[in-house]
Amino acid sequence: MTNSNYLNISDILVSNEKIPCKILQDLPKMGFLDPSATEDDLKVGSNVEIPLWLGETLYSRRPPLVSVDLPKIYKDAYREILNADACTIDLHKFAQYFYELGCYIAKYDIKGEVATTLVNTFKQRFRMLLAASVSNDSIGTMQPLSVSERERAAAAAATEHALSAWLQRGDSPLTTACMVANHRKRKRAEMEML
Amino acid sequence: MFAEKVIELLKEAERNKETIDQFNDEKIRQILEEMHMLFNLNMTDANASSENKSLWTAVQIRHSALERNKRCLLAYLYNRMQKIKTLRWEFGSVLPTDVRELLSDDEYLWFTKYSTNLASYMRSLGQDIGYNGIDLTENLKPPKSLFIEVLCMVDYGKLELEDGDVIMLKKNSRHFLPTSECQTLIRQGILKQIV
Repeated sequence: MTNSNYLNISDILVSNEKIPCKILQDLPKMGFLDPSATEDDLKVGSNVEIPLWLGETLYSRRPPLVSVDLPKIYKDAYREILNADACTIDLHKFAQYFYELGCYIAKYDIKGEVATTLVNTFKQRFRMLLAASVSNDSIGTMQPLSVSERERAAAAAATEHALSAWLQRGDSPLTTACMVANHRKRKRAEMEML
Repeated sequence: MFAEKVIELLKEAERNKETIDQFNDEKIRQILEEMHMLFNLNMTDANASSENKSLWTAVQIRHSALERNKRCLLAYLYNRMQKIKTLRWEFGSVLPTDVRELLSDDEYLWFTKYSTNLASYMRSLGQDIGYNGIDLTENLKPPKSLFIEVLCMVDYGKLELEDGDVIMLKKNSRHFLPTSECQTLIRQGILKQIV
């Protein structure tokens, strides 16, 4: 995956998503991982929600310290909905990083159904993505998209815009550099707030 | 929970992809404090683990939290560095004071070094064929005409042209200038091309 760069901020945010895990061994002094625990130690068999990066390290120990459970959105019930009609689900609400997290999660699903669901979901939602990138009502159509889908839609819209601008006048006027312009805008916004 | 502060830091950076934020000294100090605490806890438990083997897992978990914090901090610094690089190309070698304030001292030092490096590289270009350097930050778009009409957006002051003429750039004044002389000012948002 090109995204799994050590210094990639969005990859870090993905690996911060919580996943449900079951503890397979007593973990001394780790009671704070489970908000309902009263003791200092984390007991065998307790279920906790921990960030993905922590889950991965605990799972990679031999023998594994936890067993990783699938997050709700990748479970049977939701998979059925996704396979039936993926466009009905508001991914931004349910799983902002649906695809990226799915890529990490897929290896914990022995039957391999998560992987196929991911591909199917994208296939079905592609039309929606396309519609969002040419639509004028950007807020309405962008709303149900996941973070990466939003980025793609925005990039598509920007490309579309650049192409039509270029077709209309073969000439491209010189413009202010992007960061300079944004810096100004922000400063102005801050001034107005004061 | 481990490594939560650092996520706040990264979310802040992620929200503002287009501009650079104030370097967050305070939060970085807190994160380093968390890391020191984890390290000290690990030292005590590692020493105790010769009698109590089960403490070993706790040490390892904390260690992965330390590495996580390290990764996040490095990512924060690296992404800022990329932005600072863009600053050099877009604002030029001299940063306006309000942008300068957003960088930490070390970052500003890096900026100056990068700027010097870039300048000496650009000077060295084309020397073998008799040019003394090319300014790579110019002509980012293919120039269409030698002269363009521009509108001045701010009170800039005097500008001396290559032929020795001095013109006064006042807000809302219009000028007809050689493209080569005003494109840097356009990129800095002082002038605007009228089409």
